[in-house]
Amino acid sequence: MEQYYLTAKKMCVGYEGQSLIRDMDIALAKGEILTLIGPNGAGKSTVLKSIAGQLGLLGGVVYLGEASVSEMKRKELAEKMSVLFTQKVRAEMKSCRDVVATGRYPYTGWFGVLSQEDNRIVDEVMELTRITDIGGRDFQKISDGQKQRVMLARALCQEPEIIVLDEPTSFLDIRYKLEFLSILKEMREERGLTVVMSLHELELAKIISDKILCLKGEYIERYGTPQEIFEVDFIGRLYGLKEGGVVRDEKFLAYVRWISEMP
Amino acid sequence: MYQKYQNRKYRYIAAFCMLGVCVLGIFILNICIGSVRITLPEVVRTLTGGEDTEAARRILWDIRLPRAAAVLILGGALALSGYLLQTFFRNPIAGPFVLGISSGAKMVVALVMIFLMGRAVRVTSADMIGAAFVGALLSMGFVLAVSRKTAGMSMLILSGVMIGYICSALTELAVTFADDADIVNLHNWSRGSFSGMTWENVRVMAAAVAVTAFLVFLMSKPLAAYQLGDVYAANAGVNLRLLRAGIVIFSSLLSACIVAFAGPVSFVGIAVPHLVKRLLGTTEPILMIPACFLGGSVFCLFCDLLARTMLAPTELSISTVTAIFGAPVVLWVMGRRDGGRGFT
Repeated sequence: MEQYYLTAKKMCVGYEGQSLIRDMDIALAKGEILTLIGPNGAGKSTVLKSIAGQLGLLGGVVYLGEASVSEMKRKELAEKMSVLFTQKVRAEMKSCRDVVATGRYPYTGWFGVLSQEDNRIVDEVMELTRITDIGGRDFQKISDGQKQRVMLARALCQEPEIIVLDEPTSFLDIRYKLEFLSILKEMREERGLTVVMSLHELELAKIISDKILCLKGEYIERYGTPQEIFEVDFIGRLYGLKEGGVVRDEKFLAYVRWISEMP
Repeated sequence: MYQKYQNRKYRYIAAFCMLGVCVLGIFILNICIGSVRITLPEVVRTLTGGEDTEAARRILWDIRLPRAAAVLILGGALALSGYLLQTFFRNPIAGPFVLGISSGAKMVVALVMIFLMGRAVRVTSADMIGAAFVGALLSMGFVLAVSRKTAGMSMLILSGVMIGYICSALTELAVTFADDADIVNLHNWSRGSFSGMTWENVRVMAAAVAVTAFLVFLMSKPLAAYQLGDVYAANAGVNLRLLRAGIVIFSSLLSACIVAFAGPVSFVGIAVPHLVKRLLGTTEPILMIPACFLGGSVFCLFCDLLARTMLAPTELSISTVTAIFGAPVVLWVMGRRDGGRGFT
């Protein structure tokens, strides 16, 4: 049997006892990239929060390796998993480097003072994410693209085995999008980082992912490799782009077909 | 290039030195200045047991010193409680007075005083703190219930102000029905005043505030994580529920100490953390907690000095003075919110 790193068994997610998606089974090997796609409101963020242990499961279990996420100690989980959600970090009077350094919280002592080793890791990650030159700037005064990279650096500073990201590339221009995903790929290749994220850019999801999970309705719509998922017409069905819908322009429909056909 | 974030260490050291010197300087002024002027050498001679008039010793030892010590402790506690509440609600103008916590504490203290005095039972300092703590938690409970329902910052403040009015009205009502002798006593205290502090008071408040402030200081790391937002605090491994409970209890306890001894004091809790934040140029709790305490001490010592001396021999209520200096700061903070980012 293949050894999986992230496993979800019969996971049910939702808010206040109202389940949104039921009986989710996910299996992801170490160093794989899983992307969640699906229409707005399909519950991508809910699933990500549930996997990250920030939202109580309504049923089932999520395992990291052998350990159940809900039974892990907070600190232990913090050392294994980091998140980058759509909420921005609140950072009043903090430089970008200060924000990145907050990723070291699980490792610092009682008063949170950074050790030399911590500082070294912060600098290394900033180099890796190419934000060394903006390290001294006020976090609140940089562009969204830069902010997102600082946030990624913060998450990587936590030295996670798995990172959970919610729409990390929305609001970024094409260069930032590609750079952001390149860093994730690099981290996966160099450190065996496992990635779970949601994306709206289907063509990017197709290129970068090892596994894709499609969400729509009460159960997982589909789960598999990009080749299995992106068959002709599936995107149209997943997002409700049927014949006779609002989208009639031939060029738009060609674009949807192109996503499925692109290599 | 980015000077702001370099050499921060020196700025912190300078800021703390300045606060320390201010505390000491204004403390000495508070001891020396009053209806009877006592020079510093006289103070030293009197306190070291030199041959001096009994009157000077009385004024210093029984009146001015305990009062100044109380102002120092309570001022610090007040600013710290304001800082905790601002952090908790992520709201720049939260504070024990605005959120009705002081008024709630005052109400329960007044009720307990009337009840016990009516039965000729002596009210101890600890009783007062206990009563104020219960009142503070009651108000805090209301405010928390409201903040659960609505995320808006104006609703939070509005509900706090309303709770404050309700509690004040109920206090007035209770006072009206109490015996005459108590009313005078209660009335003076309920407007907020540091007068009439005894060493017994100072001992109790020092113990309560020292323990609480120390525990708050121990929470500085999770508080720093909490400042980033719930999601990232949880991801850093912070037990949010425990931390929230801690903030609520400690800020209520600190507010309770002030109300129990000096009555409600306005604006210190809001204004001081902002001034201190500007001075330090950081929001790191590990620095803000001690700096807020010192800043609160300076602010209150200064205001109490004015309250005692401006219209001497008539004494102003402390809130009159703190409002004059504190309210403009609040307006300034509110004004900055439109242009400034970081508050939502």
